[in-house]
Amino acid sequence: MVSDYSQYAWLIPLFPLLSFLILTAFGRQTKEFGVYISIVAGFISFVIALLIFFERLGGNMENYTWNQFEWLKVGDFSLSMGFEVTNLNALMLVIVTLVSLVVNIYSKGYMHDDDRITVFFSYVALFTFSMLGLVISVNVLMFYIFWELVGVCSFLLVGFWYFKPEAKAAAKKAFIVTRIGDVGLFIGMLLLFWYMPAHALDFTSIHNAIMDAKIPGNIVTLIAILIFVGAIGKSGQFPLHTWLPDAMEGPTPISALIHAATMVAAGVYLVARTYDIFSASPTAMTVVAVIGGFTAIFAATIGVAQNDIKRILAYSTVSQLGYMMLALGIGAYTAGIFHLFTHAFFKALLFLGSGSVIHAVHTQDIHEMGGLAKKMKVTTWTFAIGALALSGIVPFSGFWSKDAILSAAWHGHPVLFWVGLIAAFFTAFYMSRLFFCVFAGKAPNGQKAHESPFSMTMPLVVLAVLALLAGFVFTPFNPWMGTWLTGDAVDEDANWAVMILSTLVGFAGIGLGWLMYGKRSIPVDFISGKAPWLHTLLYRKYFIDELYDVVFVRSLKRIGQWFNRFDDYVVDGAVRALARGGFAIGQLGTRLQNGQVQSYGLIMLLGLLILALVLAGGRFI
Amino acid sequence: MGMVISPYLTLAAILFCIGLYGALSKKSAIVVLLSIELMLNAANLNLVAFAKLGVNPSLTGQIFSLFTITVAAAEAAVGIAILILLFRNKGTADVVQMDTMKQ
Amino acid sequence: MLSSIGDFLSNGSNIAFFIFALFAIGGAVFMISFTRVVHMVTALTFTFLSLAGLFVLLQAEFVAFVQVLIYAGAITILMIFGIMMTRHDNEEEQPIRPAHNVWLGIGCVGLFAVLFYAIQHSDFTPGTFDPGMDNTLAIGTLLYNQYVILFELMSVLLTVAFIGAVIIAKREED
Repeated sequence: MVSDYSQYAWLIPLFPLLSFLILTAFGRQTKEFGVYISIVAGFISFVIALLIFFERLGGNMENYTWNQFEWLKVGDFSLSMGFEVTNLNALMLVIVTLVSLVVNIYSKGYMHDDDRITVFFSYVALFTFSMLGLVISVNVLMFYIFWELVGVCSFLLVGFWYFKPEAKAAAKKAFIVTRIGDVGLFIGMLLLFWYMPAHALDFTSIHNAIMDAKIPGNIVTLIAILIFVGAIGKSGQFPLHTWLPDAMEGPTPISALIHAATMVAAGVYLVARTYDIFSASPTAMTVVAVIGGFTAIFAATIGVAQNDIKRILAYSTVSQLGYMMLALGIGAYTAGIFHLFTHAFFKALLFLGSGSVIHAVHTQDIHEMGGLAKKMKVTTWTFAIGALALSGIVPFSGFWSKDAILSAAWHGHPVLFWVGLIAAFFTAFYMSRLFFCVFAGKAPNGQKAHESPFSMTMPLVVLAVLALLAGFVFTPFNPWMGTWLTGDAVDEDANWAVMILSTLVGFAGIGLGWLMYGKRSIPVDFISGKAPWLHTLLYRKYFIDELYDVVFVRSLKRIGQWFNRFDDYVVDGAVRALARGGFAIGQLGTRLQNGQVQSYGLIMLLGLLILALVLAGGRFI
Repeated sequence: MGMVISPYLTLAAILFCIGLYGALSKKSAIVVLLSIELMLNAANLNLVAFAKLGVNPSLTGQIFSLFTITVAAAEAAVGIAILILLFRNKGTADVVQMDTMKQ
Repeated sequence: MLSSIGDFLSNGSNIAFFIFALFAIGGAVFMISFTRVVHMVTALTFTFLSLAGLFVLLQAEFVAFVQVLIYAGAITILMIFGIMMTRHDNEEEQPIRPAHNVWLGIGCVGLFAVLFYAIQHSDFTPGTFDPGMDNTLAIGTLLYNQYVILFELMSVLLTVAFIGAVIIAKREED
């Protein structure tokens, strides 16, 4: 069946781009109006994305590929640009446009007092454009271009409050650390270019080449791992996860949009998009699964000991992205994408909720909050839904997607299953810790909190509904989404043991959190009092940042200082010498121009002489 | 042995170089003018010498030297006039101090 | 070498050339080396006069005559008037520009070397010269026939130059 709307998919990124251009050109004049431009553009994109999505839901649509625009032609090789719509793309389009629209509306309230609000909205529009472009990219190079563009937008938005030194440092860190991953992706892309038949880079050709085994096996493994390195950088997987928590220095809507729902999921999307390459290499799959699993539990344990509300959520994001990688690595493609889908909603919801809290109390430390449940009803309820979804409680969306991953791991990957299960316990624990610290208990003295404006609560409600319901598209009893995404039939597979186990673990985590931070029947320093080193280790995030600082940053700084010295003395010295020479010649020139006719005459005489000697010189040689 | 031209030319070259040296080294404007006259005379000597001993001897060379003498006379007159004017304005006839071209 | 000088001096006109050349160079050198301006003018007059003698040797009697009249007469007098009109401390100060003078000396000697080299290495085969019976008559005929336009132009130039000189030099308050 041919899709009618898919051919208009290129319009989707166009509206945010248009809004970016308008805001950049007329930003100062538009002020309040510019915000509406951005929201309307986001809304139109969302509507188109929805049309495509629902049309594709209706039947077994074939992929729509338009690849006509010839961008580069070198000899026999030509590189075309275009766009492609598959079921996966359509799903991503909906996620990105929806979250972006919601965040746009939310930002209207959240950034209301900021002087540079139009700049903020133009950055958001540029990001939305890049992310949508990334989603519908037709070949790897185009994908890479948009991949870098979202990186730039992330840099701009993390450093949006550039007058804060932490934000500046975080922006730089985010950019540089993801860049390390990007180098891997770039090399992988070059290898792909080199080994592909006819140097084709579009995803369809890659799919065919892998199916026909045109590329040697070890090269496939290498390419897959290099691509995964790119995904590690973008999705904050261990060991390149350090930038993501620091990126929370950016405005909270940005944390929701970029660092929870969309951009960090781009790494997962990259692996999903090039899944053929990974499937062809068991080694690469194992690497993906192991790193994903390790990151999931690693980040979850760190999240337990953090005090900053946004950092807890950031480590939670890292952990959940680890889940998705784990799912992809063990071959549970649909489960991974499904978790991406649900996670986008409930994590965006949690971030926006935390933004609402921060907006109200002007602090990010959860120990300085409390008792907000009475003052901020909507925020509390929506946040609770998000937290329950993240903790994996029936029937919220997170339960279904996490269950899908865990039951896939149950078959043949016992270690990863237990890792995932323990991580789920920690997830539930830190979420309940966060929730009870912030919303329950007594408010600190003199804190005046009030509910956020409608433009901020409305997105919360929308996302809460989605976080509640999104899980039902892929339950073990109704797995049509798997069929839709992969094209293969997926059997109903209700694994009761896994379901019960994960629910139990979720409740155990929440219960422990409630006992410690809600009812306070277990002292808070129950563990940290007995093993302070453990708390320090977790609080300092396993000293990863310190380790990087010693191993990479300082040694690189030392090298940089040497280069700087070389630059100062040798390169600059040469330039300075040249400049001084020019200056000296100039001074000589001014001395020559002394206004005295006799000096001029002398110069003319000498010049004539030199001319005569040069002309006559040929005779003697 | 007939007459040859090279002694005349050499003499003219010597006079010309001495005149050039004077014109470019002396500080008094009058002496500079005198040196220029000497250079013109050296050129005249060449003209007259070529008129008799050149490859195509004719009276034209002499006539040319007459014109040169005329121009030299005019130049000397105008030069002295400018010199006097300068002296009246600046109070000196020292060419080293005439450096208005610097500005 | 000595015999060639002897040969050279055996010819009367050559002796005359030698003497005149000596006077010309001597006058020029003295003009450079004297310190008082009036002495310089006097020394240069010697050069002018000996050049007139050389013109006679070259069978250019009219030019020699004009040389004496204009250079030794008019221009020298003009220069002396110029000296009188401007204040001179009469002492040509010692040069205070050593580098300038050294380079100038090098330049002049170099220029002479180039000219000398060119003169020595050029081949001027003299043609036959017919001075005619009366040099002045021949020149006059030429001036009023072939070169009459140039001659008139010269007269205009002279007139313009002298009027210009008068206007430049006259006092402002007149």
